Amino acid sequence: MKSVHSIFLILCLVIIPLPCLAEFFGASSDPLSEETVQVEVARLSPEISQLEDLIRDSNNPGPIDASRDDRPLQVAVIYVPSPKPSAGEYAGTIPDPLEPVNRAFFYFNDKLYFWVLRPAASGYSAVVPEGVRVGVRNFFSNVTTPIRLVNCLLQANFSCAGTEALRFFLNTTVGVAGFFDPAKKDFKYEKKEKDFGQTLGFYGIGSGFYIVWPILGPSSVRDTVGFVGDLFLDPQNYLIESLWINLAVKSYYQINETSLTLGDYEDLKKGALDPYTALKDAYFQYRQGKIKKSKKPNDRHSGESRNPVLSTS
Amino acid sequence: MTLGNSLRAVVFFLLLLNIALVARAGDPENKIRQTTDKILSIVADPALKGPSNGEERKKLIRKAVDEQFDWAEMARRSLGRHWAERNEMEKKEFIPLFAELVERTYLKKVEGYSGEKVRYEGEAIEGDNATVKVKIVTQKNKDIPVEYRLKKDEKGWLVYDVLIEGVSLVNNYRTQFNSIITQSSYENLMKVLKAKVAEK
Repeated sequence: MKSVHSIFLILCLVIIPLPCLAEFFGASSDPLSEETVQVEVARLSPEISQLEDLIRDSNNPGPIDASRDDRPLQVAVIYVPSPKPSAGEYAGTIPDPLEPVNRAFFYFNDKLYFWVLRPAASGYSAVVPEGVRVGVRNFFSNVTTPIRLVNCLLQANFSCAGTEALRFFLNTTVGVAGFFDPAKKDFKYEKKEKDFGQTLGFYGIGSGFYIVWPILGPSSVRDTVGFVGDLFLDPQNYLIESLWINLAVKSYYQINETSLTLGDYEDLKKGALDPYTALKDAYFQYRQGKIKKSKKPNDRHSGESRNPVLSTS
Repeated sequence: MTLGNSLRAVVFFLLLLNIALVARAGDPENKIRQTTDKILSIVADPALKGPSNGEERKKLIRKAVDEQFDWAEMARRSLGRHWAERNEMEKKEFIPLFAELVERTYLKKVEGYSGEKVRYEGEAIEGDNATVKVKIVTQKNKDIPVEYRLKKDEKGWLVYDVLIEGVSLVNNYRTQFNSIITQSSYENLMKVLKAKVAEK
């Protein structure tokens, strides 16, 4: 072959594996180094035991029955050894000063799920095929694009905003008013889950304490503010004039979603010794994970999941 | 050697290098792939289908899972600071109970498998620690990101934590166990744990 063709080929073959090689040299896994954590815990343990003794004495908890919770209000001591001192993130727990109230609402939501939501969703899923229900899910997801788009912009993440805008355009046109998701299926643009609670967290606002809202479920001080903020971004709240119809639509959305996630809550309960705490911790970790992810440079490049070298289906 | 020949040789060499780079997946990811494929094949096996084969299926899946998970390490981490306070006998008692608790939930999830695809999204190795990222692609237009954390010891790469949608299994249990131990006692935790594991 001609030498100029060879040189061209060589250049291609050198450039193409660069992302691969970058991984070799730049790859940073982020596993928590338990050794560091434990050293820190060991170092701090005298102070920690002192604090715990103080709290125990001041509160004087009686014998605890696993089902009832009538402890007096406690201060939650969170000693959180941070594995990477620079991070400002920590693996800990969310404070829960309202635990008795939260547990009551947790119990209420639990009954609501088993007595109302699950039967409705099961009946609904028996009548409506899954494909249609997924279509409904896609439709609602498309309609709520402004929430995600605006929050991308608020986080100054323009590739994220661009992806959401593109998804809206593609799914509304090719995807027939949003019932289908060709943007993801064919063009590989995945949904960027962003909300105002995450945006607040992105700018360093802590979660505050844990709140369980009746009907709405687990939340936190920050995420409740986020929820309210997002109400102003949801087009449904502008398009639907009657409050009752709006609530009915939101209930329908919830029944549809539940029909697609039947069994998830049951599995959580099955695997947990204390479902209330399991849900609280899972909620907290999930939210912290999302905020942490949105701060990573990776999240800010489009097509993060479109790397052809790494993904195989 | 002519210029043309040298260039051809370089091209050939680079081609090989590229193929090697693209095809390689490290040990941790291979380990995960092997176990996942094994479990999926057990679930899909027509000879093992049906409720009558349930016990056999469960046994085989457990065996596959046991090869991949370091239960002792997971159990230790899930007790957190309470692990050091336990004596040898208590530790020996706790580990299999913990493994049973996790396996039960996992088995139920696996039994509900209905054709989801597993996409391998990458692997990162830092000395003796590794993470393998995976995405479970469902038919319902929701993908579930799963991250395995592995540690290398003399037995090879073993999983010590699983993060589903960013939620660490070990951390979640640690919060629960800590809550129960500090509000009551370790004995009470064992009571609750045994009752849970004995549940149908």
